[in-house]
Parts: sequence; structure tokens; C-alpha cells
Amino acid sequence: MARYLIRRLLLLLVVIFGVITIAFFLMHLTPGDPARTFLGEKATPQAVAALRHEWGLDQSLGSQYARFLGQTLTGRLGDSVYFRTPIVQLLAVRLPVTLALMFLGAVASVIISLPLALLSATRPGLPAQAVRLFNAVVQGMPAFFVGSMLIVLLGLRLRIFPAGGYGDNPATKFYALILPAVTIGLAIAPLLIRSLRASMVEVLSSEVIAFGRAKGLGGRRLLVGYLLRNSSISGISILGIQVGGLAGGALVVEQVFALPGMGSMLMTGILNRDYPVVQACTLSFAIMVVIVYLITDLVYALLDPRVRLS
Amino acid sequence: MKRKILAGLLAAMALPLALVGCGGGGNATGTAADTTKPQAGGDLVMARADEPTSLVPWVPTDNASIWTIEEIYDTLLVPAQDGKSVEPSLATSWKQSADKLSWTFTLRKGVTFSNGQPLTSADVKFSLAQARNKDNPFAFIDAVIASVTTPDDQTVVIKTKQPWSPLPADMALYANSIVPKDFGGMTEDAFAKKPTGSGPFAFDHWTKGQELKLVKNPKYWQPGKPYLDSVTFTVVTDSNTRATQLQSGQAQINEFPAYSSIQGLQGRSGVQVGKFPSSRVDYLVMNNAKKPFDDVNVRRAIAQSVDRGSLIKTVLFGTGEAAGSYLTPALWSHDDSIKPLPYDLNAAKADLAKSSVPNGFSTTMTINSGDADALTAAQLVQNALGKIGIKVQLKTLDPSAVSAAKHSGDFELGFTYCTTDIIDPDEIIRFGGLYSGGSQALYSQYKNPKLEKLADRAAMITDQSKRTAIYHQIQQTVNADQPIVPLYYSPALYSYSDAVHGFKTLPTGNYNLVDVWLSK
Repeated sequence: MARYLIRRLLLLLVVIFGVITIAFFLMHLTPGDPARTFLGEKATPQAVAALRHEWGLDQSLGSQYARFLGQTLTGRLGDSVYFRTPIVQLLAVRLPVTLALMFLGAVASVIISLPLALLSATRPGLPAQAVRLFNAVVQGMPAFFVGSMLIVLLGLRLRIFPAGGYGDNPATKFYALILPAVTIGLAIAPLLIRSLRASMVEVLSSEVIAFGRAKGLGGRRLLVGYLLRNSSISGISILGIQVGGLAGGALVVEQVFALPGMGSMLMTGILNRDYPVVQACTLSFAIMVVIVYLITDLVYALLDPRVRLS
Repeated sequence: MKRKILAGLLAAMALPLALVGCGGGGNATGTAADTTKPQAGGDLVMARADEPTSLVPWVPTDNASIWTIEEIYDTLLVPAQDGKSVEPSLATSWKQSADKLSWTFTLRKGVTFSNGQPLTSADVKFSLAQARNKDNPFAFIDAVIASVTTPDDQTVVIKTKQPWSPLPADMALYANSIVPKDFGGMTEDAFAKKPTGSGPFAFDHWTKGQELKLVKNPKYWQPGKPYLDSVTFTVVTDSNTRATQLQSGQAQINEFPAYSSIQGLQGRSGVQVGKFPSSRVDYLVMNNAKKPFDDVNVRRAIAQSVDRGSLIKTVLFGTGEAAGSYLTPALWSHDDSIKPLPYDLNAAKADLAKSSVPNGFSTTMTINSGDADALTAAQLVQNALGKIGIKVQLKTLDPSAVSAAKHSGDFELGFTYCTTDIIDPDEIIRFGGLYSGGSQALYSQYKNPKLEKLADRAAMITDQSKRTAIYHQIQQTVNADQPIVPLYYSPALYSYSDAVHGFKTLPTGNYNLVDVWLSK
């Protein structure tokens, strides 16, 4: 177990190094000038050149990369050139929002998917058809559309939730995250339902259930102890991959719900050619994704003793 | 003023992008003049698409920053509501010396900053010294200033390198806002986090990415104002979400409602639409330094094959006017006699036949990705030019890359727009038409040395009618040469709750929240 963790952590370093290097060169090789973006179209070329010098953009790409690596290795993320603020301060506000959104989104997807998968696995008639229809419809709707519809329906018509925006205390923040989390949950649900349903059907017809029944188990014990435990294994890996991929989905959902998360920070960073911000965001996303995959593997091993982490 | 287009993925997914409009001739279709007595109190929330970058007056160029700065600080003078002149603000009177080489401003008595510190001429001298630093984006406006002296606490004398009539208008520029001398004892960085001014509202807090809150400045010099207790600017990128927040009461003002939403909003109870005169003009830019756009016949052929009417109908949903002169009608020297070249394909073909490429040619048009409006407009232009034998290939790049391509002259056709920052025509006459005016005449690389001399002469003359005559001459020359095709003038668009009264933006964009009040 310990050796497995060490190996995974080393792999994490390799992945992160690769991601930030690619991000660095992609950003710097894309045309566009942060100094011009910051100073506006009317600024004189002299003013632009002075700012480029101040930001070190007039140095060679190699020396800029060396400086960037040096900073990153010593744990310094630098300042946002556009907002003239230390990136650590920006991350302190935005990272918790995105982490909370990803976590609640994963929870929402499970809450939505489990009962529906169970329903469709155990009631093959009309209920299963209804779930299939639900899957098809939800999968056909992109997150920004679902988000806007939820805002109009629950924020404007029924006035149950805020129409986007974020709170100023833990309770209002949690409240503001519910609709975005449901949006993400719905985006993940169709795949999760399908995978859960397939494994449930398989488990239901297997010897495990027959064994449980023979032991005299029924109802809830059979459902939780045998059916869910055995069929959730494939669901966990699907969920892990989906949540890992959420880094990109969070971007859209954050924009629609006006949440001050990492997605909107990355977006603004890219549009303004705010190199340090883009690098810090891709670094954070890379770490998040690798950690989510690591957690997925660990949970997988816990649920299925046949999986050996070695 | 620069308007950042934070379009990105959402717009790419076909959500309508809200762009600021401006341009003259728009009428406020909101409430008629409010005759009821203003009520004090209330907290106003304005949902905006973008977040400010900095609240230090001479640092930013984006509208979200500029329009916030104008609420926190005062300038010596302010633009009048009609945009045709300047009015007193921190300065109560101003006059040019007999030799025309200096301007003397007399400051208002009894003005204090929101921290209680009195505002004197020393603060003005300090602020202008910061703004004039040549590395600042708007230093070009102040480049004509030779020195600033302060004979006494209430008097500021600004010497200019040459006679300079636009100076009062320059002193109404946001970048020339007055801050406390030596930042009130703070470093510039510390001041940027807790900015202090003498404006109607004082800085309260700024949660980056979320909201920026201003509160009533109890020491404001206009008695009884402002009416509002606080103003909160929230960042809501998505135009649909902004519209919903206005309807649900979460926000009272929606900055930049999508053009497509305006018709649906008009007549809806509880919400009104404001179309205020602004100085925005949109252009089709041709790179005159590249063949065959160096040929005036080619440029005129293009100008006559663009159907402005269908552009306005399709892109602005009718919220705009076809543009003739490149100078906005919001400014006093706009030449109304210049009409848009008529949409006439036969005339266009005839002009093309006289040109170096009588049988047409192939070219590219570089536009912003993620900007649904620009894409629609580009397709219309592509289709129109195709009819006279010019094959246009569209090239989409993200906004920063488009800007880089324009500045380096690495493009053939494109769109751009400009707005004025001061209410004197000097800035836009130069920026839009002169090679030396910054960004080479809206990236067209158009060069006409005669115009440079005319603009310099006009700025030195005091008599406004004589200046107007010269500016008309410049506009007519540019119109004959058509280095750029002015497309349309469009108003500034806002939608807001019926509870909001007195909201009217100036042609330079200022919100003027000092006069705004909320009915309960």
C-alpha cells in the first residue's frame, strides 16, 4: 500500500510537470500580448514596451521558462499581471468554490443516479423505459442550457434559489451551490445510471444474490450489502473519471451561475493573456484531477478486495 | 475606452453576447423625467459582465474599472449631460491665459476626501503628476502639459506646451481623477487596496471575482447627495443570468443586456430599458498598407457593397443608426452632412472595375472568436463582398490574438470600434483618422500628413466654430478616402428595475450614480 502511494505520488509529479510545461509553451506561443491587453488599444507603443520589460516578457522564452520553473519549484505562484494581485490570494477565494462545487456535483450525481439505476434495474417495464427516456433527454442538454433553465425555473419563477451569484456566509454559499451542483449532477447522471444499471442487472442475476437470498437475507440488507456493494464498483470508476473531467465542466457552470471559482479565473486569465494566472490554474486543475483519480483507486480497492494496490 | 470582450466558451456555444452599445441619437426609452421627490436610502446592485482590474485612476483602461473610478473620485471638471461641454466639479471656474499657454483652475472650497482630509491644490498637483507618467495608458492625453503649479491652496495653474483648447475636457478624464497627496501616507499598492477619493461613494470592499461594494460618502460636497446608501457591482458574465437576476430582484441594473433581449424586455412590467447616447462607432477596417486596399477604388467598392441596414437589423436588432462620418455624433464637431455611402452593388462593381483588381480578388477577414455578433456581421460582409467578386475567408482568433494581429498590421479586413474618453473631439479625430493618433488610424495604416497639420491647428484655436470647420474638413477628407468603413452608431444599453430613478449615463459612459435613487 505504501509503495503504491509513493509510486502514485511520483507519477503525480511527472503529470504536473508535463501539464505546466505544455501550458507554459501553449500560452506563450499563442499570439497576443498581455501588456497590450492591459494597457488598452490607445496606449502608446512606448508604454506597452515599458510594461513588457517590467513583466520580463522581452526576455527569451527559454529564460522565461527557467524563471517560471524556479518560481514554481520554490512554491511561488507570483502575481496576476492583470489584476496586480498575488495569485495565492486569488486562489484562496476561488479554489474552495470549485472544490465545493465538484464535491457537491459528485454527491448530486450519486443522489440522482442511484435510485434511478435501481428503479430501472429492478422494474424492467414502464419505469425502466422512463429512466431510459430521462437519460436520453438529459444527455442531449448541455450544462449551460440546464443551468439557465434551472435558474429561470427555480430562481425566477418559484424563487426558491438565488438566480446565480454567491453567498457571503457558509449557509448562503452552500445554498448558492445547490443549483450548480444539480446541473453538474445531471451532466454526469446519464453515464452513471447506465453503468450502474448494467452492473446491477448483472449482479441481480448472479450467484451473489442467490447466495444472499439463500442465507435468508431480503429487503434492505440484500440491497445494500450485496447489490449496491457489488454493482457500485464500475460506477465508482465512471464517477471518478467524470469528476476528474469536471474541471472543464466547472468552467461553464461557474460562468452561468456567476460563481467566483477557478473556471472563471482561468477563462479571464486566458483571454487577458495573464500567463501567471493560467499557469497557476492549470497547475491546480492538474493536482485536483490526479488526486481525484487517486481517491477513486483507493475507494475501488476498499470496495473490491480482489483489487490489490501494488 | 476599451471594452473587454469576455466572450469565451459560453458565447461560442451560441449564447448571445452582450456588447456595449453607444453612439449618438439614441433616446432614453426608460422613464420620462422623474418629477417625484427623490428618496434617500437603499442599496443598489448592478450586475456587470466584467470585473474591474484596478481602482487607481491612471492604471486601467477597461470600462468596469473606469466607471467605478468615476464614482469614487472627482475630477476637476465633468462632462455635461449632453456631452457638448464641461461643467464644474472640483473646480468651480477655469480660464485660459491671454497668451493661451496656461489654464487657471479655482478649486471648490470645503471639499474633503472620504477620510476627512481636506482636498487642496497640492492633491491636484500630485494626482496629475502620477497620471502624466509616460508609461500610463492615457498619458498621451496629458502629454501637452508642461507644468502644474499651485500659487495657493485653492488655485491650480496648468501650463501647456502650446495653446490647447481641449484642456478642460482633458481634466474631465477619469485618469486625471484627484487622489490624496502621497496617497494619504500609504504606498501605491496599499492605496490600490483601499482607494480614497472625494467622490459620492467610498470604497467598502472588493471580493475578487464576486463583488465590489461602495458605500455613501458622508462627507460628499454636494449637500443631500448621494441618495443611495450603497452600490454593489457584481460580476455576472452570462447575459442570460444577468437578465434573470434583474427580473428576480437580485439586481436592480443590468449592464449590457443582449441586443436580442431588448424587444422582449420593452413593455414588460417592472423592467425598463435605457438607451443612452454614447460615442461608440463600429467600423469595418481595411489594412491600407496591403494591396489592393491601398487603392481608394477598392475601398469605396467595399464601402458601397456593405448593407448597413441589414447589419443593424441582424446584429443590433435595430438598436443603432447607419454611420456616415467616422466621428461620433455624440461630439460637437460631428459632420452631419456626411451620409453613409449608399448600398449600391452596381456602383461598387463600377468602382472595382476602375481599380487595380477589376475582376475581384481573395482576401481574409480576422474576427474575434466567441463573439457571436462579430461572426454574424462577418458573414453578412462576406456574403456582400462575394457579390462583387471579392472572396473573403473568415479567420477567427481569440480577442487578444486579434488585437496583436491588428497592432502588427498582420490582417487584411476586420472589425473594430471606438469610444471617446473626453468630450472634446480632439481625441477621436486623431485616434480614428490620423496616423500619429495612436494605433495608426484604427489599424488601417492610413496616412495623410495634411490631416495632422489640420488637427494640430484646430487644437490651438479657442473659437469653437472655427475648430468645427477644421474638424469637418478632416472628416470629409477621410470620408472621400474611406480608409475605414464606418458601419453604425449605437447607444449604451441598460435594463433596470422600475424602482430605479434618475439613471442616465453620459456620452463618455459615466454612470452618474450620484443622482440615482430607489423608490421603496
